[in-house]
Amino acid sequence: MPPKHYRAPGKKKEGNAAKYITRTKATKYLQVSLNTFRKLCILKGIFPRVPKKKFEGNHKTYYSLKDITFLAHEPLLEKLRHKRAHEKKVKKAKARKNKELAERLLNRMPTYKLDRLILERYPTFVDALRDLDDCLTMVHLFASLPAVEGERIQVKRIHNCRRLSHEWQAFISRTHSLRKTFISVKGIYYQAEVQGQKITWLTPHALQQVLTDDVDFNIMLTFLEFYETLLGFVNFKLYNSINVKYPPILDPRLEALAAELYALFRYVATGSTRKPAENQSISSTEEKKDSDEKMDTCVNESDLQLAQLQHQLPSNEPGALMQLLEDSNNDDDDVDQDTIECKTLFKNLKFFLSREVPREALLFIIPAFGGVVSWEGEGTPFEETDEDIAYQIVDRPTQGHKFLSRHYVQPQWVFDCVNARIILPADAYMVGMVPPPHLSPFVDDEAEGYMPEYAETIKQLQATAKKNVMPLPDLDNQDLADPQNLIADGVMDRTQANEAAEERRKLQLLEKQYHDELKMEMSGITYSATLSNKKSENSGSEEMQHKDEVVVPVSTEKNDEDDRAKLYMSRKKRGLYEAIEISNQRKKDKVALLKERKRKASASKSG
Amino acid sequence: MGKEKYEESSSDEEVNSSSDVVEASSDEEVESSSDEVEASSDDVESSEDESSSDNEKVEESDSSEDEVAPRNTVGDIPLVEWHKDEEHIGYDIKGRKIKKQPRKDKLASFIEGADDPKNWRKIYDEYNDEEIELTKDEIKIIQRVISGRTPHAEVNPYEDYVDWFEYEDKGHPLSNAPEPKRRFIPSKWEQKRVANLVRKIRAGLIKVSDQNKEEEHNVYSLWTDDTDSVENKKRGGYVPAPKPKLPGHEEAYNPPVEYIPTAEEINSYELMYEEDRPKFIPRRYLNYRSVPAYDKGVKESFDRCLDQYLCPRTRKKRINIDPESLKPKLPSRKDLRPYPTTCYLEYRGHMGPVNCISVDPSGQWLASGSTDGTARVWEIETGRCLKIWEVGEVARQICWNPSPDRPILAVVLEYDVLLLNSGMGDIDIQTKMKELLHISEPGATEDAGDSKSAVTWIQHEKHDGIRMKHFKAVSSIEWHFKGDYFTTVVPSGDSKAILLHQLSKKHSETPFRKLGIPVTAVFHPSKKKFFVATKKFVHVYDLSKVEKIQKLETGVREISSISIHPGGENIIVGSKEGKMCWFDLELSTRPYKTLKVHSKDITRVTFHRTYPLFASASDDCTAYVFHSTVYSDLNQNPLIVPLEILRGHKPEHGRGVLDCKYHPRQPWLFTAGADSIIKLYCH
Repeated sequence: MPPKHYRAPGKKKEGNAAKYITRTKATKYLQVSLNTFRKLCILKGIFPRVPKKKFEGNHKTYYSLKDITFLAHEPLLEKLRHKRAHEKKVKKAKARKNKELAERLLNRMPTYKLDRLILERYPTFVDALRDLDDCLTMVHLFASLPAVEGERIQVKRIHNCRRLSHEWQAFISRTHSLRKTFISVKGIYYQAEVQGQKITWLTPHALQQVLTDDVDFNIMLTFLEFYETLLGFVNFKLYNSINVKYPPILDPRLEALAAELYALFRYVATGSTRKPAENQSISSTEEKKDSDEKMDTCVNESDLQLAQLQHQLPSNEPGALMQLLEDSNNDDDDVDQDTIECKTLFKNLKFFLSREVPREALLFIIPAFGGVVSWEGEGTPFEETDEDIAYQIVDRPTQGHKFLSRHYVQPQWVFDCVNARIILPADAYMVGMVPPPHLSPFVDDEAEGYMPEYAETIKQLQATAKKNVMPLPDLDNQDLADPQNLIADGVMDRTQANEAAEERRKLQLLEKQYHDELKMEMSGITYSATLSNKKSENSGSEEMQHKDEVVVPVSTEKNDEDDRAKLYMSRKKRGLYEAIEISNQRKKDKVALLKERKRKASASKSG
Repeated sequence: MGKEKYEESSSDEEVNSSSDVVEASSDEEVESSSDEVEASSDDVESSEDESSSDNEKVEESDSSEDEVAPRNTVGDIPLVEWHKDEEHIGYDIKGRKIKKQPRKDKLASFIEGADDPKNWRKIYDEYNDEEIELTKDEIKIIQRVISGRTPHAEVNPYEDYVDWFEYEDKGHPLSNAPEPKRRFIPSKWEQKRVANLVRKIRAGLIKVSDQNKEEEHNVYSLWTDDTDSVENKKRGGYVPAPKPKLPGHEEAYNPPVEYIPTAEEINSYELMYEEDRPKFIPRRYLNYRSVPAYDKGVKESFDRCLDQYLCPRTRKKRINIDPESLKPKLPSRKDLRPYPTTCYLEYRGHMGPVNCISVDPSGQWLASGSTDGTARVWEIETGRCLKIWEVGEVARQICWNPSPDRPILAVVLEYDVLLLNSGMGDIDIQTKMKELLHISEPGATEDAGDSKSAVTWIQHEKHDGIRMKHFKAVSSIEWHFKGDYFTTVVPSGDSKAILLHQLSKKHSETPFRKLGIPVTAVFHPSKKKFFVATKKFVHVYDLSKVEKIQKLETGVREISSISIHPGGENIIVGSKEGKMCWFDLELSTRPYKTLKVHSKDITRVTFHRTYPLFASASDDCTAYVFHSTVYSDLNQNPLIVPLEILRGHKPEHGRGVLDCKYHPRQPWLFTAGADSIIKLYCH
C-alpha cells in the first residue's frame, strides 16, 4: 500500500499544495531576494492567504500560487533586476574611484513607473477612492515629518507629500465634501465623501513628529512610493472633474509665506469659476484699479478673494459682490442635500485665526463649510481689525484686546459645529473656559447603547434648529453675528427648559417608585413576587428609564426559558449562542462601567 | 697623515677650483711630508702632487683611501718574498727604485718606542716601507668602524632623501619617432559613435538626465470612461484590506469624563497581562494647545503597513444574527400540558439523604429509603408517613412490586435485599403475602448449583420478610412487570454480576456471563427482553433464547441510569457527565439525540408510564421534565421537548436530587433530595 500522501511521478499536485505556495518557495521561484519580493508584493498589492490546510506547517506564510505566477509575469520584476545591476555598476565605479562614471551612472538610474500597476489594482476610479484611506493617512503623516537633509527620508519626497496633501485638501474644501472632523489624541481625523465613497484619514497634529528606531523606513517608503503616485493620479482626475488644470501653478508669494493651502484654494477657486465669472472679472478689475493702485498681482476672481475686495471697496457696492457670490454658487450643480448643508453651514461668516491656533486644519475646514477665513500674517485676505469678522478662533488663556462684535471661541467649537451641522452656542467655548467634551462623530451612540450627556444636548439643539427654519442672514451683511446669536440664545433657553422638565419627570418617577415599594413592603409582598408584577406594570407604562432596572435582576423564569431552548440546540449553535451572549454582556458591562463612572463624577461634582 | 692633508687640500680646491691655489697648497704639502719621510725626493713629491690633483679633478668620491696614490707602484705582489734580498722595495711612479729603509734592530726600536708616548699609534706600512703615525681622528674612525658605526661622526646615515632628478612634468621620450598623422586628424570611430548617440537621443532611445528631472509630474487621466466599463475586473480572490477602526469618544483630546479611567483602574491595568492591557488609555486635555505630539504615530502607521503586506487575508462571514433566531422552534408548552410544574407537597421525616423512592402501582403509596437506615411508606395525597422500617443499614434502592396484588417492597441494603410485606391491601392479599414471603426450610433454595454461593434466601425475623444475602454488594434491583421475577445487579460479581430471581420459587440464577462491570439492569416492559447497562454500553438480551440482540453505543463516559419507554422501543440513558441519550432501538444503535442537560451527574432518568413524559434528576439540584411523543409511524422520529426545570432541593455534601419517579397515573413527579426531603411536583 502506498503512503498516505503518495503522488505518482508525473502526476500534478492537487488541493492546497497546488493552490498555495510558501513564501520561501515563492522567492526561490521568482529568483528574487526577500527584499525585492516584499517590494513587489507591496506595489502589486499581493498579500498572504490562509489555506484550508497549512500543508507545510503552521508557522509559514502562504501565498496564492496564482498571485505568484502573476508576479512572475510582472515587467516590474525585470526593471528591478536592471536597477540592481545598475546599482552594482555604480558601486564598482565608486570603488575604482571613477567619480565621473559613478556620477554619470547615478544620473541614468533605470526608473519605473507605477501607473500601469495602479490601473491594474484599481480598474475603476471608485475602486481607487475606496482604498484611499491608508494612502491619505500615510501621505499626511509624511507631509508632517521634518524635511531635514540627512534624515532617513529624502526632503524631496516630504515636499511632494506636502504638495499632494494640500492639493487633496484644496479639492475637498472646494467641493465642500468634508463631512466629519474629530480631534483625537493621535491627530485630526477627517471624513470626506467623494463620489459616494466615505474616505477617512488622519493628519498628525502640527507638531514635530517622533522618528523612532523600531521602524523600518524602507517598507514605509515603498508604500509611500505607491501612495504618492496613486494620490497624484487621483488628484488629477478629481481636479479634471471640476475643470481645474493639474498640476496647479501656485502664487509664489503665498507659497513663500507657507500658505500653500490658501494659494491652492485660490488657484482651484479661480480655475473652476473662470468661465462664469469671465465678464465679471473685467468690471471688477476696473473697479479695483480705480479704488486701489497697489492691489497685488492676482487679478482673478474667487469667492475667497471677494473678501479682500470687500475689504478694500467701500460698502456702497454690495450688489456687485452679491452677484459674484451667486455666480460662484451657481457654477457647480449640487444634487446632494448633504453637500448643500455642508456648504451653507458657515456661509456668510467670517473667521479669523489667531496665531496660536493650528492654522492648516482650520484653513481647510472652515472654507469647506462655506466660511471665509483669515489669519495673522502677510498675504492674508483681511486683517484682524475687520469689523465683519463673526468669530475669532483663539486658544489662549486670556484675550488682550476684544472686539465686541465678534465671538472669541476655541478651535473645538469649529469641529463640534461641523459634526453637529449646526452653529452651536459659543458660550461654552469662550476663551479661557474648559470646553464641553469633544465627541467622536464616528460613533453610533444608539448602537453602542450609551449616549454621552453632551451628545444629547447637541441632539436637542439639532432638533430645535430643524424646527424653526434657519433664518438666512439678511442681505445687509453688517451684523451677521446677531441673528446667529439670537438663534443660539433661543436654542439654549429651550434646551435648558427641556433639561429641567426631564429632571422633574425623573424625580417624580423616583418618588412614585419609592412610595410603591413602601406600600408593598407594608403589605408583605416579597421582592421576587413584585418583580413579575412590576414587569407587567412597566410594559404598560411608556417610561423608558425603567427598562434597564427591570432587565438587571434576572428572573429565574426567563433563565429557565433560555436553558430550555439551549438544551435543544446543537453543540455548534449553542457555542455560537453563548459567544453572542458573552459579547453582548461585554457591551453591557462597558456601558454599565461608563454609567457608573458618570454617576461617580457627577456625585463628586455636586458633593 | 699625508692622506689627511690631501683631503683637506682637496676640499679647498673644490671650493676655489683655481690652479694657483693648487700650486700653493702643494708647496705646503711638500714641507709637511718632508718632515715625516726622510728619503723622499722632490720629484717624487711633486709627481705625487700632480697625480693627486689629477685624481681629485676626475673623481669626486669621498672615500679617502681611493684618492691617495701609493708611493710604491709594484702592485700587489708578495713583497716579503720577492724583495727580501733586494735593496729596494719597488719603484715609484717615475720608475726609480725606492730604497729600503735601514733596518732598526729590535732593541733600538724598543727603546725608541718606550721613549715615544705616541708609539702605540704607529703602524708599519710594509708596502711603502714606512711607519705611519695615526692621527687622533683616524683613531676615532677606527674605533667607530670597530664599534660598527659610520666611520665619520659628521655623516648622517639617515638623511632625508632628495631626488636627484625632477622627473615630474618632464617628458621622458621612450621613442624618438615622429608624431604620427593620426594624432592630428579627428577620429573616425569616435565620430561614428557620437553620430550613433545623437541619433539615439533624437529618437528618444537615450534620455539625457536633465529630461528625466523635468518629467516628475507626469500624471495624466489614468481612469478614462472606457476603463470604468471594460471587463477590466480584478483578478479573483482579491480581498481588500480591512479599514482601520474609527476612533470612538475615548480617543478625543477632550473626552467626556466617564471615558477616563480612574487612577485605581489605571493601576489595575498594570496587574493585567500585557496582551489584555488596554492599548490606549484616554486622557483629557483642557485645551487644544496643550495636546502633545502623538509619539506612536509613526510606529502605528508602520504597523499598519506591516499588517497590509504580512497579514493573511480571508473573507470571513461576519455573523450578525439575532441570538433568539438560533433557538429551535419548540412546540408551545401550553399544548403539551399536563406536566409537573410546581411543588405541591413535601414529605419530611427522613433524617438523612433520601436515596431512593418508589411509587406503589395503585398510586396511593410512596416508599422511600434513606441513608439514615430507615425505609418508609407515605400516603401520597396527605403526606402522612404510614410505616417505618428500621433496616439498620443504608437503603440504596427501593422498589414496589408492579403487580397490584403483591404489595411487596424490595429494599437494597449493602449486601442484602429485603423483601418486605408493605401491609397494604385487604386481608386476602395479606394472607397470600405471608405465604409468599415465608421460607419453610432454609436450605430449600440451595438446589441451584451455580448460585448457591451467590445468594442465600433467608427468612427475616424482625420485619417478617425475606432476606436475600448476596455474596457481594448489590447496586440495583428491578422487578419484572408481572411481579414474579426480579433482577439484582452485583457490579463486582464478575460472571455472577446479574442475578435473576423468581419470588414464587425463591430461586436465583445467573444466566449472563462475561459482561463488563454492569451498572444497572432492567426488564422490557412487555416483551421477553432484558437490558443491561455497563459503563459505556447498553446490552439488549433476549430472555427466551438467552442471547445478546443488540449493543447500544452511548458515547458517554459513564452510564448512571437507564429507563425504558412503556412502548419498549425507546430507551433513555443518563450519564454521570450530565448527558442524556435517547435511543430508538429500531433506528440505530447510536443515540438518536444526546442532550447536554445537567451540569453535574444525572442520578436518575425515568419515563412516565402513561403520559408522554420523562424526567431526569441530577446532583445540580434540578430535575428536568421533558415531553416525548413516540409516533407509531416508523418514519417519524420521536419528538422531544424540554418542558420544565424543577428546582427546590438544596445541595448537601455536593449532592442534589438523588431520585425521581413519576406517579403511575397522574402527571406528577416525585423527587428525593439529598436534603432528606421528598417533593411532589404537580401540574
